[in-house]
Amino acid sequence: MEKRRVRNRKAGGIAIILCALMVLVGFSGCVQQQQGGNKPAIKNPTTYVRYDIGEPRTLDPAEAYDSASTDMVNNIYDRLVTYKGNDTTTIYPELALDWSVANDQLTWTFHLRQNVKFSNGDSFTATDVKYSFDRVLIVNSPDSGVAWILKQCMDLNSTTIIDPYTVQIKLTKTYGGFLALLAFTVASVVDRTVVEANGGVVANTDNTWMKENAVGTGPYKLDHWTHNSEIVLVKNDEYWGGWNGSHVDTVVVKHADEASTRVLALENGDADFAYIPFANLVDIENKTGVIIYDRPSYNVVLGIFNVRSENKFMADKNVRRALSYAFNYQSAIDDAFNSHLYRLAGAIPQGMPYYNTQNNGAPVYNYNLAMAAEILNNSGYPQNTLFKGNYYRFNNTAIRIWYNSGNDERQKMALSFQAELTKIGINSVVSTEGWPQYLNRMYNTIDWDFLFLGWMPDYNDPDDYIAPFVGSAANGGDTFNTGWANATVDYFINQGKYNVSSQIRSDAYTHAFNIYINDPNLIYIGQESYTRGLRTWLQGYTYNPVLEYYYLDYYKAYK
Amino acid sequence: MKTWEYIVRRLVLLIPVIIGVTIITFVVSHVIPADPARAFAGGPKAQPETIARIRAELHLDQPIWMQYFYYLNDLIHFNLGKSYLEDRPVTDALAQYFPATFELTIFAMLIAVPLGIAGGIISAIRQNKLSDHFTRVIAIVGYSLPIFWLALMLQYVFAYIFPIFPLEGRLSIGMTPPGPITGFYIIDSILTLNSAAFVSALWHLILPAFTLGFATLAIILRMTRSSMLEVMGTDYIRTARAKGLSERRVIYRHGLRNALIPTLTVTGLSFGGLLSGAVLTETIFNWPGMGRFAANAVLGLDFNSVMGFTLLVAIIYVIANLIVDLLYAFVDPRVKLGGG
Repeated sequence: MEKRRVRNRKAGGIAIILCALMVLVGFSGCVQQQQGGNKPAIKNPTTYVRYDIGEPRTLDPAEAYDSASTDMVNNIYDRLVTYKGNDTTTIYPELALDWSVANDQLTWTFHLRQNVKFSNGDSFTATDVKYSFDRVLIVNSPDSGVAWILKQCMDLNSTTIIDPYTVQIKLTKTYGGFLALLAFTVASVVDRTVVEANGGVVANTDNTWMKENAVGTGPYKLDHWTHNSEIVLVKNDEYWGGWNGSHVDTVVVKHADEASTRVLALENGDADFAYIPFANLVDIENKTGVIIYDRPSYNVVLGIFNVRSENKFMADKNVRRALSYAFNYQSAIDDAFNSHLYRLAGAIPQGMPYYNTQNNGAPVYNYNLAMAAEILNNSGYPQNTLFKGNYYRFNNTAIRIWYNSGNDERQKMALSFQAELTKIGINSVVSTEGWPQYLNRMYNTIDWDFLFLGWMPDYNDPDDYIAPFVGSAANGGDTFNTGWANATVDYFINQGKYNVSSQIRSDAYTHAFNIYINDPNLIYIGQESYTRGLRTWLQGYTYNPVLEYYYLDYYKAYK
Repeated sequence: MKTWEYIVRRLVLLIPVIIGVTIITFVVSHVIPADPARAFAGGPKAQPETIARIRAELHLDQPIWMQYFYYLNDLIHFNLGKSYLEDRPVTDALAQYFPATFELTIFAMLIAVPLGIAGGIISAIRQNKLSDHFTRVIAIVGYSLPIFWLALMLQYVFAYIFPIFPLEGRLSIGMTPPGPITGFYIIDSILTLNSAAFVSALWHLILPAFTLGFATLAIILRMTRSSMLEVMGTDYIRTARAKGLSERRVIYRHGLRNALIPTLTVTGLSFGGLLSGAVLTETIFNWPGMGRFAANAVLGLDFNSVMGFTLLVAIIYVIANLIVDLLYAFVDPRVKLGGG
């Protein structure tokens, strides 16, 4: 008995020690990490390191469409024109020194920069420009379909070489956003010699070599790419802009799915810049050497109505207007997006040209349950169906609300919306499924009434938003498959698209707005904040919603 | 049956296993109502021609049995298809991710097996003593701790609070991978005489390998302990002691050898399991291995990647079990391969 007591005491002692150790480790988070005061030593002083989600799919400008790919293309290749800093309204020269457009608004002439070399030493000329644009149209990327951006207004006869440093582009039709389009990665200039030596141009076929390799005139060139791990760029010594001033020599973009890893990397200085989800921003607040960067982006958050739903009341614009009033926008801002969301007035996001054609930027629909109820009552949808002691509308038919699984913000908005609808006697069901199933439901069924989606810019022109959102399918729009169409709105969209006159475009978008806002196929919930964590030693960074990262501007030092 | 005959027979049996696995996986992955073509083509921004092309490539407009026939036809020609999520052949993706996972698994087993067996032996021969209690607590902690918690804690303590080890990845930030020759950074760095990469790769392995190995160590330790306790109580052990053999000889030559059979089984199965990828560990330590690849493929309904991964895992398990069976015969002469 005595022996057993001694044994039990020993075992108990060990258990207590181990538990204490675990508690100590568990509370180790309360320990303030010493980081050398307010200015910790700069790690990797000439290397910019970003921890992010999302992996590039390709390095080929003729194929790149996702943001992770365009990020790389933007820094390896140049285009004729570009944006600078956080300026989204001015088009700056890049490979083109200057340009002009003829009176027909179709013929553009670009004078090119001379003595520009690709990173392999090849010289850049007008031949490369024509080759690059024609290549996009011929390749017609089967994987991404990005060629549509150029195909809107260009064909294989559009680009003409006038002389080695002058190129002329004759559009197939006037396009108000042509210069903005030229600043997008699809219009990047590739080295004709290199492409021809590595697969060339094959119609309707992506170039395998160009997916994984890159030779551009941009400030950086590819060092190596380890899929799902990191992609590394190093400085291009041949860069025409030179390397005077302060710049990082090396760029490392790490693919890290786990938010806690990104948070720790930012805190310990391994990362200079990191994507931190809204819910995790509290983890980096007030941390030594870390700041939160927050600016409005062009990324918009939308609620999508299914006008073709089996629930026929969804086709009634008054129902959709009422639902637009029933949505609690402030809850979305405060609870779902932790205050990192700004109200959106219409299809065109704030910062983009012609934003003020939308009720001067003031949202038409604000959270107003009384207004929602009044509209429904006056439209013949009273609360007259008794169910479990409460009265409901639509014969107690439930509105089916969907969000894609894993998206916390959309989940919170869905549940909030459901709660609000209940207050005005509308029954609803909130469901979730994975992304491919979600898309299938939206595009291949009518088995939904309302779901959440977002949109990011391709290029800085309102046509990139208004046409897909409120244009009809017949006019190349209705990108969310709502089933909504209005011929007059289509007319005004086309008027805005195919005119370069700012007055004509402004009037067109104003008229379009006044129609579609009163027959809404979307709830314009908000415009996301671009929120990232960065180290205080990172200088030169500024957010541009179209040209997200431009590494040449970055360097590491304390101000 | 001779050993080589046994091996050939087992490998031939791999074929019906593969067919069965592909049928089950194909059906399960394809019956979910979804639109992978649109997801692969870019979601809402997808162009109709792109969607149509992907649908045609995946034969999604065909009956499921026809789709399987196309898949089998490609498989016979060693074509695993294209990973639409990664926009490259599935074989390329597996060729990159499998060595990463294999390397991690090897090191995890190098931690788990020696320590687990040694711990089990100590625990058994010093039953109910302090060392036994200690090792048993380690074992309980090992298979009770959620692996993601262990990974996060190790990362937090040893890479952040006390920055001894790297936070994540296979190599130091920005370091060019050695080779590529085999895809195993340790081997490739030796072959290319790249000492910096060798040290970096080794250092990066420690935390994730320990995370993975700890749970396996616990299982091996418990199994070894219980087997040893059973064996050490047998008559032949008593006889061996009575003959005057040293205790060391009794334990290792007579005891351990007989107690190893169950341990071999769990070791083999654990090895196979780790080779199929540990998604949580790989995600937290940002290890570009099979686990993350498989998880993303399943969530994204990347059929070709799911099929390729499943096929590879099936082959791994069959081979792992074959090796374990061969080791049985080596360890225990009473075991006859092929029965009889």
